[in-house]
Amino acid sequence: MDMHMMKMSRVATEMHAREALEKAKAVQPKLNAMVTFCEVDEQLENLKNIDTNAKLYGMPIVLKDNINTKGILTTASSNILGNYIPVYNAHIVDKLQAAGAIVIGKTSMDELGMGGTNLSAATGPVYNPYDLNRISGGSSGGSAVMVSSGVVPFALGTDTGDSVRKPASYNNIIGVKPTYGRISRYGVIPYASSLDHVGYFTRSVRDAALALEVLAGRDDRDMTSSYLPVEEYTAKATGEVSGVKVAVIKNIMDMASDELKTQTNTLMEQLRAKGAVVEEVTMNEDLLKACLAVYFVISNCEATANHSNLDGIRFGVQYGENSYEDIMTKSRTAGFSTLIRKRFVIGSFGLADENQERLLRKAQKVRRLIVEEMHRVLGEFDAIVAPASLHGAPLLDATSDQLSLEYLIAENYMCMANFSGDPSMTIPYATVEGLPVGLNITCSAFNEAGMFNLAKAIEDVTGLCDVVKEVL
Amino acid sequence: MNFETVIGIELHCELKTKTKMFSSAPVSFGARSNSCVNEIDLGHPGTLPCLNKKAVELAIRACTATNCTIDSLVKFDRKNYYYTDLPKGFQITQQFHPIGSNGYVIIDVEGEQKKVRLNRIHMEEDTAKQFHYSDGTYVDYNRSGIPLIEIVTEADMRSGKEAAAYVEKMRNILYYLGVSDGKMEEGSMRCDVNVSIRPVGSEKFGTKTEIKNLNSISNVQKAIEVEVERQKEEIEAGREIIQATYRFDEATRKTVMMRKKEGAVDYKYFPEPNIFPIQLDLNWIKKIQEEMPEVPEQRKARYEKEYGLSEYDISVLIANKDVSDFYDAVMKHTTNAKLAANWVITELLSILNKNNVDITNAKIQPVHLASMVDMIAKDEISGKQAKEVFVDVVEGKDPKAVIEAKGMKQVSDSSALLAIINSVLDEQPQSIQDYKNGKDRAIGFLVGQVMKKSKGQANPKMTNQLLLQEIAKR
Amino acid sequence: MNKYDKEFLRKLANQLMFDMTDEELENVQAEFVVLEKQLELLEAINTDGVEEMIYPFEAPTSFMREDEVDNVLSVEDALKNAKTARQDFIVLPRVVK
Repeated sequence: MDMHMMKMSRVATEMHAREALEKAKAVQPKLNAMVTFCEVDEQLENLKNIDTNAKLYGMPIVLKDNINTKGILTTASSNILGNYIPVYNAHIVDKLQAAGAIVIGKTSMDELGMGGTNLSAATGPVYNPYDLNRISGGSSGGSAVMVSSGVVPFALGTDTGDSVRKPASYNNIIGVKPTYGRISRYGVIPYASSLDHVGYFTRSVRDAALALEVLAGRDDRDMTSSYLPVEEYTAKATGEVSGVKVAVIKNIMDMASDELKTQTNTLMEQLRAKGAVVEEVTMNEDLLKACLAVYFVISNCEATANHSNLDGIRFGVQYGENSYEDIMTKSRTAGFSTLIRKRFVIGSFGLADENQERLLRKAQKVRRLIVEEMHRVLGEFDAIVAPASLHGAPLLDATSDQLSLEYLIAENYMCMANFSGDPSMTIPYATVEGLPVGLNITCSAFNEAGMFNLAKAIEDVTGLCDVVKEVL
Repeated sequence: MNFETVIGIELHCELKTKTKMFSSAPVSFGARSNSCVNEIDLGHPGTLPCLNKKAVELAIRACTATNCTIDSLVKFDRKNYYYTDLPKGFQITQQFHPIGSNGYVIIDVEGEQKKVRLNRIHMEEDTAKQFHYSDGTYVDYNRSGIPLIEIVTEADMRSGKEAAAYVEKMRNILYYLGVSDGKMEEGSMRCDVNVSIRPVGSEKFGTKTEIKNLNSISNVQKAIEVEVERQKEEIEAGREIIQATYRFDEATRKTVMMRKKEGAVDYKYFPEPNIFPIQLDLNWIKKIQEEMPEVPEQRKARYEKEYGLSEYDISVLIANKDVSDFYDAVMKHTTNAKLAANWVITELLSILNKNNVDITNAKIQPVHLASMVDMIAKDEISGKQAKEVFVDVVEGKDPKAVIEAKGMKQVSDSSALLAIINSVLDEQPQSIQDYKNGKDRAIGFLVGQVMKKSKGQANPKMTNQLLLQEIAKR
Repeated sequence: MNKYDKEFLRKLANQLMFDMTDEELENVQAEFVVLEKQLELLEAINTDGVEEMIYPFEAPTSFMREDEVDNVLSVEDALKNAKTARQDFIVLPRVVK
């Protein structure tokens, strides 16, 4: 069901939230998507103080477990935060509750957001509703599958490289990463601050537009948050794309299978029929190839510093007793998986005085060149599009978060929009070898309205709106 | 061999703000432990820094008073290290773009003026406070996140005396500007000193040692002097100076090595991604500079020009801003500048010292001292009476009320005085005769008689004058 | 000689206040080999005269917080996630200074 249609009586609203919670529990053995189920009684009680016309009135939602919820366990799927009870709400939690949303649970993620598979969660892998032998994708995997399996219409995630947009592609749903600064990050456990974005999943473009109306807006506690007014994205997402200029990244299309090419070309023809101007554009291949390295270096350098606060002293799981060094070392050794400690070592290596020029600063310079290349295209076009992946979700045992030697441009390019901060989203459109694949759309900074409008046109021609993959 | 001492100083000063550098939790001394913190000061996951405008304003004042070039594009960086007093595992500081650079102050040492160059002034945040007890280290995060400026000099000082003069100068400036309390004993100003020696005439710097956490200006001087002696002994004994961090042990008057410095520590500095560069409004900076409180030099000039006070009086008054502020408050109510200065410096300070009362806590009202000073100037009370009255004025009483209550008012009404004088003259014809025969002392006796009759309330000057006038008539 | 020998990597790990087993360190070594290959892609790109891009948006901001107390935790909330808290303090094994 579309969440904007949910204008229900209070009783119906209550039942709906409880049903969603029950369903979340019922699918848990199959999907393993939840870290914590929340009590809803008090939240439903609080609804009495909220206008029934509030945008998300009574809406059951789930939050990725790196979003702080006061008094409710928030682990970021890491052992070191296995007992962390936040003393404050993330800015967006306050906003969602003020809009009438009911948080039914916290979802599994790659540990501290540092992965793309959801295999590294402390609570184990999350399974894909389309094939339980396949990954959900990550790092916002739990939230993605709760939306695709029809438990909730809307779920919060975060996106540092493609952590919302990739799982959205694997799960046949919409994944949105708005402009950097559009949504406050206050209270969201970071990964890499200059790349981190709050993002979310829905099953319709209209819901995606509505969600941003609730989430966006200036927050003085996040000095990077934007003052630009929040627009009426729902009203603007008409699907009218006459004259809208769309660039399809040729470098990526060249690598696509015939099956995917055919479906992509069909969609582009349908957009042309609506009056859009669609052209294939070749981007600088060397820069596209460098995306993964730029992302890997910057994200790990920032992450190792960001997570230095996790030392077992003021919060978190504490081991050791002999000395503070003993406590920090044992807590951090037991608290982080091998993968995370490995990333921290690499990040710290990149920050070291003697390496910074060759690693961090070099990556930051190439970041600029990649962004300039994107802006060259966005200077001529309203949107850049390409498949979010050339394939559906990989099998659980055929993937890992090891750094790859292969230069898979098509699997790694979406982090460009994290470099530039430009709004970017994935929308369902294709099926490859029987599995869903989404189309990625990236527009200029703060042009979410234009992005949703193009997405609406795509949704209109694919008819892929409110698609649910039941697992029960 | 003759050696030259080379000294550079780093001062960390806590800024006088109501809230922390990057969080809106309160800054409050002596509050219950861990009662002045929020999630940001504890380094909880998901927190983000938010810069305090007042801290920037105070840093600008400090930069302005020390002739620094101000960088109006404010940027912050992370300094990464792990320690129990550092909640985030990094300190937010200004490594690459300090707000102030290339400044100087002029210090006075034994009548000589000397320029000390400042390399930089940068903003950063304080760490938590730790208390080491036998059963463990107790951590209080109230200090965590308090705004600091770090002021770094060039290696321009050449003696412990110069170093002490510099620290005193900076403390005075910062206190006058309302930038910092500058209380070294309480840690709101902390001083680290870099010391080396080299043969006189040598251009090359010797190996330096750092003396940390000096808690008073006198200890700055003492610590440097003993450290210089220690270094001389080492060199004269043919040993190398080891680069290390020392502390000053007051009891033994020795510098004690804390740890060797083995290679430079790599703090892995990088720009703080959560704070975009902030362009300060140039008009705002200008306004701050125009509305800056007086620094000691400016006040000194004003006292010379407007009040004509002596150099000694000025130096005593401005040595303590609170005393000088009190004097300024007195001067709002009187024009008798020199007399007021005398009373503040000699009478008031000695009473306060004796009673061990700080002038900021004293009960005396500036307006009361002003009115007493005016009465003295107008001969309404004698100096001797004033001293008696002042005992009560110090306790917060109005001198007029005190004089009234004690019936001390001088008789300056000439008709009343004439009556007393004439009755004395009538009683003392011999003295009149003596005076007329050239015995000048007789007049003193007659004044005494008038005083006696008036119960000490006769205005002595008028009495003298009127006596002469009345004798002449006889 | 491998510039990423185990002892070097172990020291890096220990600076970050954690340990790694030999097996884990081998894993790190393997990742550094891949990283070096990835870095070649960066090195192939000419960045002469290019400034580092640190933030997604580079227009300077102007907002600073007014110096007003707004958000304070109770002592109980400040300490409740800590394993050892006594007499309003977080307590650690004695830190030798």
